[in-house]
Amino acid sequence: MNAHRQIVIIITLLVLTGVSMITYKHRVLGFPLFATDTETVWNIESRLEFKALGGPVKVRINLPDSVSGVEILHGSEVSSSYDSGVERDHGMDFYQWSRDDALPGQQAVFLRNEVFFREVPVVTQEKPPLPITPELNEVATQVQKDFSDANAKSGAKEKNLVLKILRELNNPASEHLGVLLRDARRRSEQLQLAIDLLAMEGIAARMVRGVLLEDRQNNRSALFMLKVWLDGQWQLFDPRESSSVAWDSFIIFQEGTTPLFEVEGGENSSLRFSVLREQRASFITAVEAARNHRSLLVDFSIYSLPVAQQGTFKLLLLMPLGALVVVVLRNLVGIRTSGTFMPILITLAFLQTGLLIGLLLFIMVVGTGLIVRSYLTRLNLLLVPRIAAVLVVVIIIYGAIGIAGHKLGFEWGLSVTVFPMIILSWTIERMSILWDEESAHEVLIQGGGSLLTASLAYALMSNQIVADSIFLYPEALLVLLAAIIAIGSYSGYRLSDLRRFEPMERY
Amino acid sequence: MFGLASPLHLRRKGVVGMNKRNFIYIAQSNPRHLYPRVDDKLKTKLLCAQHDIPVPRLMGVCRVQRHIKQLPDFLADESQFCIKPAKGSGGKGILVITERQGNHFVKPSGVHVTEEEVARHVSNILSGLYSLGGKPDVALIEELVQFTSDFDGFSFEGVPDVRIIVYHGYPVMAMTRLSTHASDGKANLHQGAVGVGIDIDTGRALKAVQHARPISEHPDTGRALNELVIPCWDEVLELAAKAFEMTELGYLGADIVLDRNRGPLLLELNARPGLAIQVANGRGLEPRVKLAAKQAATEQLGVKERVSYSREHIAPL
Repeated sequence: MNAHRQIVIIITLLVLTGVSMITYKHRVLGFPLFATDTETVWNIESRLEFKALGGPVKVRINLPDSVSGVEILHGSEVSSSYDSGVERDHGMDFYQWSRDDALPGQQAVFLRNEVFFREVPVVTQEKPPLPITPELNEVATQVQKDFSDANAKSGAKEKNLVLKILRELNNPASEHLGVLLRDARRRSEQLQLAIDLLAMEGIAARMVRGVLLEDRQNNRSALFMLKVWLDGQWQLFDPRESSSVAWDSFIIFQEGTTPLFEVEGGENSSLRFSVLREQRASFITAVEAARNHRSLLVDFSIYSLPVAQQGTFKLLLLMPLGALVVVVLRNLVGIRTSGTFMPILITLAFLQTGLLIGLLLFIMVVGTGLIVRSYLTRLNLLLVPRIAAVLVVVIIIYGAIGIAGHKLGFEWGLSVTVFPMIILSWTIERMSILWDEESAHEVLIQGGGSLLTASLAYALMSNQIVADSIFLYPEALLVLLAAIIAIGSYSGYRLSDLRRFEPMERY
Repeated sequence: MFGLASPLHLRRKGVVGMNKRNFIYIAQSNPRHLYPRVDDKLKTKLLCAQHDIPVPRLMGVCRVQRHIKQLPDFLADESQFCIKPAKGSGGKGILVITERQGNHFVKPSGVHVTEEEVARHVSNILSGLYSLGGKPDVALIEELVQFTSDFDGFSFEGVPDVRIIVYHGYPVMAMTRLSTHASDGKANLHQGAVGVGIDIDTGRALKAVQHARPISEHPDTGRALNELVIPCWDEVLELAAKAFEMTELGYLGADIVLDRNRGPLLLELNARPGLAIQVANGRGLEPRVKLAAKQAATEQLGVKERVSYSREHIAPL
């Protein structure tokens, strides 16, 4: 197989692998295409307080069910020496804390959930079964019958019917329901009444408890809501406001008869919620969600590293971009630089100093270095001692810039130390030889070319969107590798060739 | 447009760009292990001796720093010589001495050089200042070429050499570089030397360029450049073609000078010859290289047959 075909095959494979991995992460794992996308994340902190009786304690909070379109990440705040974790019991998920010997007295455990909503197509489920019509006493049956007749007359639509029932429930002097409301003082009893009434009309409804998602809510107790099957999907209704509630503004912790929380070995317990809204780059939530699902692509990737190491890799992942810039500028444009990858190292320094200050410092150090080096030429030194001497001079220049900057109030002068001094020494040495052998013009061309390359690489590498996107899709490096290989086998003209052979147009 | 040539036009002319030169010609025709044969001028010289290729006579080699002490004695009776790094590139680090005045040496420009300065130059060569990658090097001391007077008036200060591109043994394109006042006596095109394309068949000047612009007279001497004819052209071509057998490099630049007494001498070889020769000739390399490659693949010819093939078939392209 000849080299050309191999290159084509390698490039195709790399691009296919890279693109399909990116597509998978985007389509299936829900990674955003660009790191700029932000999304709303609700931080819900559940605080369960109770008075421990002494002895073993077991506390559990019912966890929200996983519903399509809602992503919930659990994480417990460390609650002083409790064993905690997610438990599953009768198909329900709990977060459970347990301890063998709790001291008597006030105790508190915290559960933190992060919730975010995804746009998903509404899946039409099968209509849920109606609750078994309860045995009602005579009065109630009569009331219901009257109510039903009244409804039939007014011809209220289903949604309006729900709202009407809720309004009636909030009105103790209600014409139809007043009688029944006398026995149903508690919210749960009233809702049960509403469910029964709706069942008579052939509408399925459930009682749920959870948290209303509003920003900066503190110390709220769980709210009751009515979940009603309307138009092929569950819709939420707020019984207090007699209004409907959007699907993404309420998170359900408990449904039906399961207890919201249980405390064994304690008393006087209460569960309170705090809600905080957070706007964050959607890739962070995507990564966390994928980790939650133990997706292989994410589990065996840099996201599985500790956060500190992730930072290092974030910078490392940017280096290939710098390499690409060098490749493009040298092989497609035809810019000459002094030292092949010296510009990338300069870019790394620029990333820490900022572009303008970096350019200024570079020119100061190299300029002063060249002046000193031109004197060293006369001293007739051997090569290695001469470069060592240049290195010492470079460090003295660093010190001078740093100290002078500090005294004059330019603190940025101190950032000169991030420049790689060995590289700068060699740059000075090479430029000085270039000056002697060719001309000052050539020094300017190569020095300018290096700085231009470094600046362009800086523009790319310092861009937060680019950095986040590469971090989000490290697979893009495969595509980048393919691009570099493709350029490496490009035998067409460079831009500089077109300039250089321009006189041939006139022959 | 915008001072740029149209890529289509260049492709039609068969002009070779840097990427094609590096990727196709050099990478595919020149195996890396053969490079030392041309990158190390000492090796080249020894090879030339084996293959009976005339070169400027080697007077001595300075291999280590302690040889430098013996240098004044060694050069005591010499007044004309040339010191060059064995692994230098692009003419870097070459010191030419044409005269002696007491203890001083004189460069062609008339500048005086002391023995100390010569010693320092050699020391720089040994420490690798001029070599590729800064590797330690050796200094060659060569006899100075007694340049033919045929180029009088065509060159200012410096002496012209003939560069011939040889593809798999076939001379494909030639030019001569004439130094000017602007180029400071150096035969370096982008420093302002004049490049003159030479017809492979006749050895006559085709056209001339300076700073990549066509010119018709030498800017300093005013001589009409189209009168330039390279003497002993047949020998020059054969010398260049022979370099292929010696180096086995498929894409090769041979630099040849003309000595008054000895005729054409091979000055140095280059495994990465530049592309400016195309501008000087107003022709692209590609069609010539393709024909040479095709011919090389069909039959194995001797040096003379290759040269006559080039003159007959490659020159008109």
